[in-house]
Amino acid sequence: MKESSLSVTWRMILLAFLLPPLLILALDITFYGALKGIDSGVSFTRFANATLTSYTLCSLFLLGNLFFYGESRNRPLAPLVGMVLATLLGILATVFFIGQGPMLLEDNGSVQAQAIYNIVHMFVSSGAIVMAVCVALGVTFSAITSQKSRSDFDLEEE
Amino acid sequence: MNIQGFVRDMDEMLQAFLLFWIPIAMVPLGLWFSMSSRSKSTTTNGRVLALIGVIMICLSPWTVPTSPSSAAGHLLGAIIGPCMLIILGIYLISFSGNVPVGKLPRSDRRLGVLMTGAGFVWLAGMHWWILTPQLSPDEVNPYWYVFWPTFILLTSCLASCSAVTLLTIGDRRKAESNAMLVVSALSVVVLLLGLNIDGPLVRADEFREHLWLAVADMSGIVAGSLLSILMFAFVIYSYERSLPPPKTIEPPTESELQQVSTLLRTHLGGEEE
Repeated sequence: MKESSLSVTWRMILLAFLLPPLLILALDITFYGALKGIDSGVSFTRFANATLTSYTLCSLFLLGNLFFYGESRNRPLAPLVGMVLATLLGILATVFFIGQGPMLLEDNGSVQAQAIYNIVHMFVSSGAIVMAVCVALGVTFSAITSQKSRSDFDLEEE
Repeated sequence: MNIQGFVRDMDEMLQAFLLFWIPIAMVPLGLWFSMSSRSKSTTTNGRVLALIGVIMICLSPWTVPTSPSSAAGHLLGAIIGPCMLIILGIYLISFSGNVPVGKLPRSDRRLGVLMTGAGFVWLAGMHWWILTPQLSPDEVNPYWYVFWPTFILLTSCLASCSAVTLLTIGDRRKAESNAMLVVSALSVVVLLLGLNIDGPLVRADEFREHLWLAVADMSGIVAGSLLSILMFAFVIYSYERSLPPPKTIEPPTESELQQVSTLLRTHLGGEEE
């Protein structure tokens, strides 16, 4: 495949991914004349909390992966320390930003309560994401296997 | 489902730590053991550990009723049934089709469709019928508002993405692409119904608000994950760059080259016809 057509394909796939929310937005604007139900302040708080929590949890997961990386490198300490620092940075940033006041507090009274809520919230969101990926991949696979089996070669009739 | 908690004589924080957070940690730990070990007993023990973890999380609304986090355990208990039905149904549909290995009988296909349909109807019944997960009468589990919009919206996005991928990258996959477009369209219809039709406990306005929060949530998850992957790559890159260059060996001497060419000459050629 040519590079230009590959680029177009990727753009089409990205657009297809964004199409459902864009369609709902367009319908909302058409029928209500405005973006109904979007509170930018609350949405930003959720976005910031999700970013900080996913950064920290993902760093923790990657820190675990360094264990396998170290197997082939005589267990070096430097990357381990680097990743521990990166994870600590996430934890400190979370505590710092939540502690700044009501900006990142979502109906929770303290930094600890908000941090715990963020982690549990992340587990639920991740569960929904994993379930959606399973359904989408599973249905795609089902659609492919439900078709008649194909031959790899086109038979030519003589 | 309503919950009536019972009081226990234990510090609330310790109770939540022992009966909610340790079981949560048991799930990935058990999966890690079961996947990374070659020993059969360790694999089995890992699976059992993960299963006990899941059961204890589901029981957390009764074991740690004072912890607000136990609402997530309550949600897991409520949705595990329909989710398992959907996953098992899709498995039956997939492997009763044209697969080279592990093919199931053709009759399993009907059962699979039935199970998947029942799973989705069950989940829809949680929005528009009496099956909504409730922590107490008329109090909807707050995590249901997180799970349901995220799941439906992402299913719709991924199905649409899959349809276009099958059409552009796949070879003669129009029928499959159309099937995925139907799935995506159905998910969008469910979203539009949720945005406009109230359920007995879930109002359309609340659903609308949580749908956009789900978009913010997913964007945040993507941003945070990408940041941490970049940081991980940077740590590895910095370490690899700091390593001394590998030792190089001396080039072959004239006599060694001579020896190699002699050896090559004796092994080249063949009988002439």
